[in-house]
Amino acid sequence: MQITRVEATPKSGKGLRDVRGDIVRRRLAADHNISMTEVRSIVGFLINSDISSEDISSRADDLFADPIIEYSTTNQTFLQSPEIFSDTPDAVISVGFKPGVTDNPGKAALDGFHTIFPEADINSDISTYISYVFYGINNQTTPEFLASTLYNSLIERAVIADTNMCQAGDWPMIEYPEKPPQVFKEPSPINLEIDDDDLIEISETGLLALNLEEMRAIQAHYRDAQTQHSRRAIGIVDDRPTDVELECLAQTWSEHCKHKIFAAKINHTDLETGEQSVVDSIFKTHIMKPTHDMQNDVDWLLSVFHDNSGVIAWDDEWSVCMKAETHNSPSALDPYGGAMTGIVGVNRDILGTGLGARPIANTDVFCFGPPDWQGDIPDNLFHPSRVLRGVHSGVRVGGNESGIPTINGAIVFDERYLGKPLVYCGTVGIMPRKLPDGRESHIKTPTAGDIVYMVGGRVGYDGIHGATFSSLELTEESPSSAVQIGDPITQKKMLDMLLEARDAGLITCITDNGAGGLSSSIGEMAEYTNGCRIDLAKVPLKQSGLSPWEILVSESQERMTVAIKEEDIAEFEALAALHEVEATAVAEFTSTGMFHVQFGEATVAYLPIEFLHDGVPQLQLESEWSPPHHEPFIPPSKTDHNQLLLDLLARPNIASKETWVRQYDHEVIAQTAVKPFVGVERDGPADAGVITPIHGNPRGLVVSCGIAPRYSDIDAGAMAAAAIDEAVRNAVCVGVDVDKIAGLDNFCWPDPIQSVKTPDGKFKLAQLVRANRELERICRAYRLPCVSGKDSMKNDYGKGLDKISIPPTLLFSLFGDHTDVRNIATSDFKHPGDKVYLVGESYDELGASEVSFMLRERDIVSGIGGNVPTLSNPDKFFKSYRSLSSAINSGIVNTAHDCSEGGLGVTLAEMCIGGRIGATIDIDGTGDCPLFSKLWGESLGRIVVTVSPDNDAKFLEAMSGSTTTYIGIVDDSDKLNISDGFDPIITMNVSDMVQSWQGTLDMSGGEL
Amino acid sequence: MMYVPKVAVLFGFGINCDHETAAVFDMVGGSSTRVHLNSFISGLDSLDNYDILAVPGGFSFGDHLGSGRLMGNRMRFSLRDELTKFVGAGKPIIGICNGFQVLVKTGLLPGPEGNVPDFVQRASLTLNDSGRYEDRWVTLEFNPDSNCIWTRGMTQIDCPVRHGEGKYVMPNRDKLTKLAANNQITVRYIDPENTKLEPNAVLPFPKSPNGSMMNIAGISDSTGLVFGLMPHPEAIYAQWLHPDFSRGTAPKVKSQLEWEGQGLQIFRNAVDYVISNN
Repeated sequence: MQITRVEATPKSGKGLRDVRGDIVRRRLAADHNISMTEVRSIVGFLINSDISSEDISSRADDLFADPIIEYSTTNQTFLQSPEIFSDTPDAVISVGFKPGVTDNPGKAALDGFHTIFPEADINSDISTYISYVFYGINNQTTPEFLASTLYNSLIERAVIADTNMCQAGDWPMIEYPEKPPQVFKEPSPINLEIDDDDLIEISETGLLALNLEEMRAIQAHYRDAQTQHSRRAIGIVDDRPTDVELECLAQTWSEHCKHKIFAAKINHTDLETGEQSVVDSIFKTHIMKPTHDMQNDVDWLLSVFHDNSGVIAWDDEWSVCMKAETHNSPSALDPYGGAMTGIVGVNRDILGTGLGARPIANTDVFCFGPPDWQGDIPDNLFHPSRVLRGVHSGVRVGGNESGIPTINGAIVFDERYLGKPLVYCGTVGIMPRKLPDGRESHIKTPTAGDIVYMVGGRVGYDGIHGATFSSLELTEESPSSAVQIGDPITQKKMLDMLLEARDAGLITCITDNGAGGLSSSIGEMAEYTNGCRIDLAKVPLKQSGLSPWEILVSESQERMTVAIKEEDIAEFEALAALHEVEATAVAEFTSTGMFHVQFGEATVAYLPIEFLHDGVPQLQLESEWSPPHHEPFIPPSKTDHNQLLLDLLARPNIASKETWVRQYDHEVIAQTAVKPFVGVERDGPADAGVITPIHGNPRGLVVSCGIAPRYSDIDAGAMAAAAIDEAVRNAVCVGVDVDKIAGLDNFCWPDPIQSVKTPDGKFKLAQLVRANRELERICRAYRLPCVSGKDSMKNDYGKGLDKISIPPTLLFSLFGDHTDVRNIATSDFKHPGDKVYLVGESYDELGASEVSFMLRERDIVSGIGGNVPTLSNPDKFFKSYRSLSSAINSGIVNTAHDCSEGGLGVTLAEMCIGGRIGATIDIDGTGDCPLFSKLWGESLGRIVVTVSPDNDAKFLEAMSGSTTTYIGIVDDSDKLNISDGFDPIITMNVSDMVQSWQGTLDMSGGEL
Repeated sequence: MMYVPKVAVLFGFGINCDHETAAVFDMVGGSSTRVHLNSFISGLDSLDNYDILAVPGGFSFGDHLGSGRLMGNRMRFSLRDELTKFVGAGKPIIGICNGFQVLVKTGLLPGPEGNVPDFVQRASLTLNDSGRYEDRWVTLEFNPDSNCIWTRGMTQIDCPVRHGEGKYVMPNRDKLTKLAANNQITVRYIDPENTKLEPNAVLPFPKSPNGSMMNIAGISDSTGLVFGLMPHPEAIYAQWLHPDFSRGTAPKVKSQLEWEGQGLQIFRNAVDYVISNN
């Protein structure tokens, strides 16, 4: 074996350009205001193989370079070639991966290499790099700074040549990344007969994230005579855990996997009302119970809470499911890889639902620090603009390459997300209600004796301790092994293959390998049959030398765990071979009651299933609510509302996200009826995504979301209510069937456990209690069952005084039925003469509004406090939603758009922008409150609607009993005119609004 | 009984528009099967069993080393004889988006004169000038003088592009001119509000989403049977998929299917072609 270097670089000439280099040039201009004349790029391949360099060179244009548009060279760098790089550059930066980090281009190249050289050694490998060659850099810009924008030292390495080195011809050469051999460690017993401090020490140094009580529960387990007896019989150390067992328990019992805070017993004190109460599991009380109550009333809730996603019956033939996840900590450390593994990870949750569902739509919701942030950045973290670019690019690649359209989402900005960005990724799936063999597809059917396969990727050192790591706060020392890069193509091949296996009736049980790796996936499935036996020596590895505990808990991506009946093994393996998917039998289900892990013949873990899953002690926590104090928001006495409107439209939280969202494929599968963009120029904001998943059938599925984190500043309960109401209203705007909607609750919270490092834990926990009480109240009123959810409870950076905690954030996602997408409304104003109505009414609720934050940042006002939007009468709201949805479904509504950030003023502006048309509006009579509140307040329950004059009477009849106020007319003035009675308030050109709205987040670096 | 043409819709290795591509052929009287590329290579299935081959869109091998390259190589090196036979037998082939990239890298498009493929790459599809993958709707104009059987009778349609590497390049100007003279430039991006523009000047972004030479969106081989294009006609099989549908201004189509969208005719053309030759 020897290393051969091959490089490719774009040819120049008329109509040809180096786009890869150009992207870097434009990004530096947009993010850092650095200009330069040119950036060129070279892609490099380091081929470790037994094929000679001569042979590789002779075929380089068949594989590594496209001879029509690229030059190639072998065993030298292009930089030495005066014909191709004639001018001396100012700097060259080469970026390659660190050893062991997933190199997708390298993997693809290796596949192509074996196509061309079938005789090549099977252990050949290829690693890739990119060199950026800079010309015309100004003197203030150092190569080191340029490099820092091009690579992430956690996973990549860079070699730099500065001006002097360039002039001396001293070119940077990235060398082949030899993987350092991992040191295989025999399983070792760990003595737990030690004092409490030492128990905690073991947990902390081992990144186990177990508290004292949990360590004691483990200690107690090994003191039990019965336990010791059975362990002696199987031949494993009897009175103490092995490292494999302790790691396995730590993963399984992690906050990430067990949701211990949502399961905790909470003593809740409300200092405002004097209430003292006990909440015995927030999850069971406020989420599970209401959904189960609703399950008694409807027949379409097929599977809730216990599987990888919640499943509802959609029609007689098909069921649909949805799941949303967060991937916050990995995205903070490596925005690209972290976000990509987030989206492909939640896709696997869908594939792992029932006997396997097919992912058909993605949603992405991000919370970042301000993109133009000028202040300090916490150590080890990135500027928000870089986080935005990286996260966006990760979910773009993950979603697009997987062939799943991204149909809905949001991006929210607040400076507290500097310490931890939130990256919510959701996926909708579809499956036939019944498989060809008659089994209902939402029910797993494993039996003892079934063979358990690990399918897809291999296990590596990457991804160790993800679950426990995400259960700790971020620090400067957060480990790189918790970060991975996804491989969507390996996953796509696996997905294609497993869905064929499902339809062939081969699968009895399937789940994904996410947090906790095999330990969780096989461990959870083993609950069905009450036991399993795993042989870790059979698990295929990315690199040799992994110790048994590492193999068991590694979260290496793109893996599913699948159970197959013994008689179906041959067919299953043949299917895997056809699809070139690795599938290895690593375990079998038993009914012994034990989670039994071997490494070859030796037993390395032997834990009762019951102890593994139910042995974790319930947390006992304290919460204490007292309303936070804020300076009240008092609107300025004199306001130029025209300017205020333009300023609000340019706020990152309101501004157009088109640059970013347009880069997602939102209509692969040919089903997206309402896309993220609507209107004349196809750039207006859509309220919800609507798809028609069965080709040729206009029946639709609506997907929407709601999020309002800043309301938590005043009351996290109001924050939760607002998120749910917004998700529902967004769905109503396109005409969802309100009798068939289901929700997903994804909570991201700062650490709510009182401790030295979290002195306000009681308050944060009280916020969680209030949020969930509101969630129950609103969901019951809207008959909206939560069918799946997730929580991420340690969203803090650092400790003590410097700690940055995110605002408590609930993302509420919704999916629901739509009987016929041919009767639909979108947010863009349609025709001159259409009548404009406001459904709902405005209240004096400016607390924590976008306008309050904007004016406080500008020192125009001193506070954001006051009345936060509340939902005092959800039954009344729901009645009007039902009426409006029916009206939309009967085809008499042209336009509907909800009011959220920026209130009615911004909503009307967005409707003009979408339609590129004006309107004349009078907001008198839209609420018993001051002008400022009517115009910019964010009261819930409001939707702006237009109907053509022909349908006016029918519409009003449909809305009878709901607060529906005529506010004006769409006209061809090309201006938005708003008055309050006789007082003119706003007169603004549509084109000016478009400009303000589209400028802020463009970030594309100017003209081509 | 009317003959029902059998359509092989290729999938595997990251192709991802296989379901909708199969569906549209079924809507217009074909009978489609999704076939994994390896089924043809291993001999589990044979191209002989089919009348039409479709290479759908997607991200085969993640577009690494250039879109369509690795998939193209697999076909070029492992399916050469079968493809030669298929083309020689006068059977239609379509490549959409990634499928088009595959056909270009394989050398089937634009291909040599005549119906004997030589598997020599003559053009390429490369990174959009914008540097961005984008999903946006474009307007396409079809060449009335083309002999392409897929585009017969078609004039203009709206449909989405969804690609990062859709810029058609043929650095050899003589070859590009010849391609145009042969009427192998089957379909181009146009500005529907300004169709009088110099047809060979590159349209500004985003009317041309990628900066393609001569605004090329799709080409056919000299026989008119092998056709590839970057935009997605299957994505406008129904009117309700058009972004103007909710405004009531989506283009209507005369069809027995009252909801038919503009893109379906391409697939019907090929199915009808096979039927009329049987």
